[in-house]
Amino acid sequence: MSFRNTTRSWGFLSKAFHWVIVLMILNQWIIAERAESLPKGPALIQALWWHKSFGITILVLAILRLLWRWMNPVPDLGAETRPWERVLAKISHVLLYALIFAMPLSGWMMSSARNFPVSWFGWIQLPDLVGRDPQLYELLKDLHGTLFAVLVSVAALHVAGALKHHFIDRNDVLRRMLPFGRVK
Amino acid sequence: MTNYSALLAATLLTCAAAAAASSAAVAEQKPAAKPAPQAAAAPTPESTARYTQAATGNSLGFAFMQADALNEGTFRQFSTELTYDEKNLAASTLKVTVQVGSLDTGDQERDDTLKTPELLDTAKYPTAQYLASSLAKGAGGKLEAVGKLTLRGVTRELRLPLTLKPTAAGLELTGETTIRRLDYEVGQGDWKSTEWVGNDIKLKYQVALTRAR
Repeated sequence: MSFRNTTRSWGFLSKAFHWVIVLMILNQWIIAERAESLPKGPALIQALWWHKSFGITILVLAILRLLWRWMNPVPDLGAETRPWERVLAKISHVLLYALIFAMPLSGWMMSSARNFPVSWFGWIQLPDLVGRDPQLYELLKDLHGTLFAVLVSVAALHVAGALKHHFIDRNDVLRRMLPFGRVK
Repeated sequence: MTNYSALLAATLLTCAAAAAASSAAVAEQKPAAKPAPQAAAAPTPESTARYTQAATGNSLGFAFMQADALNEGTFRQFSTELTYDEKNLAASTLKVTVQVGSLDTGDQERDDTLKTPELLDTAKYPTAQYLASSLAKGAGGKLEAVGKLTLRGVTRELRLPLTLKPTAAGLELTGETTIRRLDYEVGQGDWKSTEWVGNDIKLKYQVALTRAR
């Protein structure tokens, strides 16, 4: 496996970005669910500290990932892929990229709107993105939740597409993104 | 024999203590190299001016660390009274009364949490008060109020650094200090932990004082 992408397969760094972000999003989901059940107190503050710190990490990874994508060839879906499949794949990929930016940014804005500055793992305190605004906060909170629902839906479509490529079309599209997948 | 040596030791100790006290007194007087000793300046009503807090231009801010980020707020309602005699600091007084429930951190939920019994318990302790019966020059010649802060029912000695600047209407009092919330039992139960909500509370104050006539 090469570090960079080739026209046939994803390189090590692209795979790392993909899977680390997947795991971190699942982790964010778990922390958020746990936070919902906690009463106000240090335990909730701690849970949100992790959620915010990981969220900012996802944002940083998203920026690096997009830059890396522009600096590398993108493996093609293969000649047998039908036009409607290409369109669907393109839309879902654009959405997924947009969401890994929009989720952390809307979360960060939520904190700012409530006058709770965000710390990244205690290393740095981030600037506020918006001023204090309780109404904006309610809007952003709804947005954060809605975006997550969209993320889950698009990710489900993304997984379904990958499985179809693997089990029905029997091509390399899934295998070439797997951590130890080999391309024939 | 035992009695005698005990008496001797006690005498020596007393002498040493007296010597230390007198040298300390000399050391204290040295920086204030004024011709008029403090005892001579008896408080006279004419030289002591009374000041009250003006209607606007006042702020009492507080800040603390929560989850590694600085959380800030202010008390919207408080009142200040100062009697001040530049030449007789010992007879000057300061009284600040804070309506604790007027706190505002920019977030209703956080404000409500801070007012709960486990934190500031504003239902039981609606006011906090600072009472100083004298002012003094502290380390480095900086002006300080020498008094006691009562917060959440706990009273503790607190020296409050202040700067007084003359204004058209009277004086402007400014300064900042840091107190520890657990000293005043602000934080019961889980909130006793200082891991996610820091112990240090920074206070910053700016008060426009009008000279009373």
